[in-house]
Amino acid sequence: MKNILVILLLLVTYKSTNAQGAYDVARIQPDLLKNASVIIRMEDQNYEVKNPGSATLQYKTVITILNKNGEDASAIHEFYDKFSSIYNLKAILYDAKGIKIKEYRNADFKDRSAVSDGTIYDDSRIKYLEILNNTFPYTIEYSYSIDYSGIRSYPSWYPSSSWGYAIEKSEYTFKIPETMTFKYLKSKDLKTDSLKIKDKNQYKWSCQNIKAIEYEPLSVGLRNVLPWVMVAPNTFEFDESKGNIENWKNVGSWLYSLSSSSQLLPDAARAKVRSIIKNAATPKEKIKLLYNYLQSNTRYVGVQLGIGGYKPIAAEKVFSVNYGDCKALSNFMKAMLQEAGIKSDLVMIGNDMPSLNTKYASLNQANHMILCVPMEKDTTWLECTSQYVPAGFIGNGNSDKTVLLITDKGGKLAQTPTYSPANNFQKRVATVHLDAEGSAAITIETKYGNAQYEDNMGMLYMEPTEQRKRLINSLSIPNIQMESFSFTQPDKELPVLMEKISLKCTQLLTKGGDKLFLTLNMLNRQEGTITTIDNRKTFFAVDYSYQDDDEIIYTIPKGYKLEYVPADIILESEFGRYTAKAVVKDDKITYTRTKMMTNKKYPPEKYNEYVAFSKKIYQSDKQKTVLAKVE
Amino acid sequence: MKITKFIAPLLLVFCAISVSAQDKQTLRKKFEKYGVVELSEFKTTVSGPDSAASAVVLFDTGVGYFEPNPSTESLNYIFERHIRYKIFSKAGYDYANLELRMLQYNGRKTELKIIDGATYNLDNGKIVISKLNKEAKFSEQEDKNYTLEKFALPNIKEGSIIEFKYKISSDFLFSIDPWYFQRKIPTLYSNFSIIIPSDYQYKEITGGYIELNRTEPNKNYLNTQGVQNNFPMHLEYVAKNVPALKSESYITTMEDHVSKVEYELSSYKIPGKMFYQVTSSWPLIAKELKDELRFGYFIRKTGNSKIVVKDLIKDEKNPDTVVKKILDHVKNNLMWNGNYNFFTSELSLKAVFDKKSGNSADVNLSLMILLKEAGIEVLPVLISTRSNGTHPGYPMLSKFNSLILQVKIGEKYVLLDATTKNSSPDIIAYEHLNHFGLKVNAEKEVGEWISLEPQNISKKTTSYVLSLGADHKLSGKLFITATNYHSLSTRNKYLSSNDENDFLKNYKSNKPGLQITNYKIENVNAPYQALNETMDVVIEDHMEEAGNVLYFNPLLFDKTEENPFKSEERNFPVDFAFPHEETYRISLDLPKEYEVEKMPKTEKFTLPEGAATFSFVAAQQDNKIAITSKITINRAVFTSEEYHYLKELFKSIVRKQAEQLIIKKI
Repeated sequence: MKNILVILLLLVTYKSTNAQGAYDVARIQPDLLKNASVIIRMEDQNYEVKNPGSATLQYKTVITILNKNGEDASAIHEFYDKFSSIYNLKAILYDAKGIKIKEYRNADFKDRSAVSDGTIYDDSRIKYLEILNNTFPYTIEYSYSIDYSGIRSYPSWYPSSSWGYAIEKSEYTFKIPETMTFKYLKSKDLKTDSLKIKDKNQYKWSCQNIKAIEYEPLSVGLRNVLPWVMVAPNTFEFDESKGNIENWKNVGSWLYSLSSSSQLLPDAARAKVRSIIKNAATPKEKIKLLYNYLQSNTRYVGVQLGIGGYKPIAAEKVFSVNYGDCKALSNFMKAMLQEAGIKSDLVMIGNDMPSLNTKYASLNQANHMILCVPMEKDTTWLECTSQYVPAGFIGNGNSDKTVLLITDKGGKLAQTPTYSPANNFQKRVATVHLDAEGSAAITIETKYGNAQYEDNMGMLYMEPTEQRKRLINSLSIPNIQMESFSFTQPDKELPVLMEKISLKCTQLLTKGGDKLFLTLNMLNRQEGTITTIDNRKTFFAVDYSYQDDDEIIYTIPKGYKLEYVPADIILESEFGRYTAKAVVKDDKITYTRTKMMTNKKYPPEKYNEYVAFSKKIYQSDKQKTVLAKVE
Repeated sequence: MKITKFIAPLLLVFCAISVSAQDKQTLRKKFEKYGVVELSEFKTTVSGPDSAASAVVLFDTGVGYFEPNPSTESLNYIFERHIRYKIFSKAGYDYANLELRMLQYNGRKTELKIIDGATYNLDNGKIVISKLNKEAKFSEQEDKNYTLEKFALPNIKEGSIIEFKYKISSDFLFSIDPWYFQRKIPTLYSNFSIIIPSDYQYKEITGGYIELNRTEPNKNYLNTQGVQNNFPMHLEYVAKNVPALKSESYITTMEDHVSKVEYELSSYKIPGKMFYQVTSSWPLIAKELKDELRFGYFIRKTGNSKIVVKDLIKDEKNPDTVVKKILDHVKNNLMWNGNYNFFTSELSLKAVFDKKSGNSADVNLSLMILLKEAGIEVLPVLISTRSNGTHPGYPMLSKFNSLILQVKIGEKYVLLDATTKNSSPDIIAYEHLNHFGLKVNAEKEVGEWISLEPQNISKKTTSYVLSLGADHKLSGKLFITATNYHSLSTRNKYLSSNDENDFLKNYKSNKPGLQITNYKIENVNAPYQALNETMDVVIEDHMEEAGNVLYFNPLLFDKTEENPFKSEERNFPVDFAFPHEETYRISLDLPKEYEVEKMPKTEKFTLPEGAATFSFVAAQQDNKIAITSKITINRAVFTSEEYHYLKELFKSIVRKQAEQLIIKKI
């Protein structure tokens, strides 16, 4: 009886608040509005596992968009595929006072394919609705249900994943039959409520009154400051395949079972492999020759349907069409190596994603597949979708990651190579002949290694007109007359790019009377400065460690003498090291600059120190020398 | 011989079909033999500027003709194509993936009838053929109206020759897709032929700067066959050695510069029924618009606009104020949804206001209804947006894609556009600034081209009044005044920021050392007036010390860093969209212990006919320095012949604005 009363009371209050506009913007606590462009008024994610192969999701959210910056949040899009169906789509638009303006139903939502870039075909689709309103703030409520008829993963919960989002209330309820086990990973300090309801176990996570965080540069993410939960199955059924992924070993076993029968090569392919390696003496040479064959004969074409998202196309098939996705090409390479008597393992990896969590096995921590050729001393890692990189170079996005080797004995965690600052180098020597008019003849020779090679390798394959346009745009030299330029990879076996440029600059020096001003660091200045942040919240890091060494040799014009040469600079901090000096001999100034940065993850409170360091580099890079006319 | 009226049309139909069948054979002869590749084709190279192309089109042959469609009793347009490439490098592999987009709309459709493809590789001097197989054909339902047919060829290598052959049948006869003679890679040979039945009249539009050889091959043959106008029109175009098309900055769209031919239906006859004029003159287009549900009908369906307008303008008599009030009302209540169209998406003003958003026609024609209700003389102006390209000028409705309004206030004409929230009368959206528009009086069934060039130059003045402190800091005031498009850009930035701090943070982000206090902005919500900003500023880290001299760039943060015109030559005009002027002033007080060692010289640069000017004026009196830099671009468009002057002008701007000012401690 008591219970009924409470429910009745609740209903009454609900109704009456609704009439006044439950989503009236005036009801938002003032401190939530600070730095916010979007307020999540409420979010309710209700996921129920029925059995290993099916589940349902009920979702509802109410979002207030405060200003133009938050407009992206007003677009609703939900993905689905052959193994999921969306229904009960509904959206309501409210004005600032929380008064209903318009209602949208299933039919108002548009439907289109959601095939991602680089993929020629998969079955993912999207239902979407764009709600537009010219008066801020406004509020959108929307809800939908999804039935899953195939499971690979359970939904995660990231109530806020963007800058400028504040949350009034968000909740994730997860239900699973008591006969099934699962696992979850959550943010620190987040409470888990669990209880048993009939034959189901229910888990609940929630958060309230989370303030918005203003954008912070170089951030490695908001996960250390905001609540989140990741949930994953131990057993599942998907597209007629049963999987157990309780731990990484089992993930490996499942993936191995999907690929183990796909490595048979037809006789023609086997003969081809034998002929390619017939003169190779060492396994290393064989790997290189077969990898080169792979690069010059295949290309990336992504086709992923159902289990095809995990199961590679058979090697035989790849041999006949010479294309495939990352799994197909890695698997084909594995088959060729096998024919050459070399054992290799497929590798599940999150390219440009965090490392696999060693204690938490799930499929959605990876998005890519490469190949690992274990050797006693010198394990080789092969990125099989690139037609360009040298054998063994896997690129910045794959480096320094915990990954899963898919072996006949199940999954084995391993670590991909790390590139040090010295690996990711830029070495440059330039000569600059100045004349009295302020114009200059300049030659520049630069070598880029590893990650910096990767950043610039696009230049190797561009048409000269395009190369030229990009060069002129990227060089910070005014009034360029390009004479010649070339981009080469001197040694096909090494991830090193060589750039040679020769140009004339009609106005390099800035004039001020009979004095000429010359910015010594002509080519590699740190542009702009970042500003300090009080009370920063998130960790930060630069994209990758690197080391830049620049040497510029200036020949000063006849009739001028050096009036001022800046002093040497050495800057050192835990973030990196910077030196700059100018040495004068006869009519030559040799300017050398070194800059080494490490991409360690730094805690938020160190940011202002980083800013100070960065500012010093900025100022040091602006140093000018003054030339004066000899009287 | 007497032929009854009933039989004659039938005969004509047969006649047309038989000619069509016969001509199809001649057309087909144009095709290179599919599947037959010569060894010599593998030796193809490209020289000159395109020598590093990733691939080359060896030939591209297309034919278009019409066939009766038994189920619709109308004709279908059939397009057949055979294209062959040689791939030079891995960057050219993408040409081995073909994607064709098929339209379905209102029960009508385009349909892919035949597709064939193959890869040819040289293996030890022998040609190895790999055919496009069934598993490499994919059909993706992109959305309600479009299906993507995708194909991936096998065994692609550097040096491969690939080809595709396909046939598409279309129920849509109104416009025929353009045939492009030019693309991002060079084309050695391109040939397009089309046979248009005598009952159909199409407007032919060609574009681009490549020389086309256009012929009418069967003219003589037709003349010997009796009554000429009963026979089809046969056109053929050939282009050889077409260079790759490369993009430039300050353009409308590359679509304006690519070589192509396309057609739009202007009239047709259905034998035995009647003659239909589709579009062939501006009056006819105006009439069509008048009778169109989503144009003429929309405008006439005034709904409750009388009450709305009465409520809005009350006793206001001044037409300027009336126009502004109504424009504001529409801008505040309707949001442009990002789509351009000259037909509304809704059927009435009420429906648009219910939805609170709409395409450019929804928004602007709603505005028109309200203005008319208020007694303002107003007409729609059809526009082809900058991205849609320049309208060819012929009476072709399909080449427009948007609309704005023109009102007459007293004796002056003013353009209105409600798609941009912070705009004002005569300030239309940037995309609409495509130089010409067609003013349509649907009721009177007339159309007239009008100029869309902004009447007033957009100005921005940045003035610093500063003094140099002992600590080498510059401090003082900054005043910024902006009009028209310059003020629109600041308004958009300000009003889309979270708050003023957020706006200032962005403003400061590329101005290292600048600190702002006491910021004030005036007229941010009054787009009809100049936008004024004032603030107190302190600038650190700007003065450089070298011995006993201090030097700095007086342009502070407003220096033109780079010449936007880098290419030596240019094939297209430079299109700035609107004329504009940027003035920069600085007045600086020096401390007593300093004197000026070197001032930059006063200089002035002017383009022929004063189309653009740059002046740099430096003056000094005692310890006061005043410098003014002014860039004036008086025209929106400069021809490719004038490009060189512009390039030189900007070169001078970059050089002059980089000059340092030197002061010396006494």
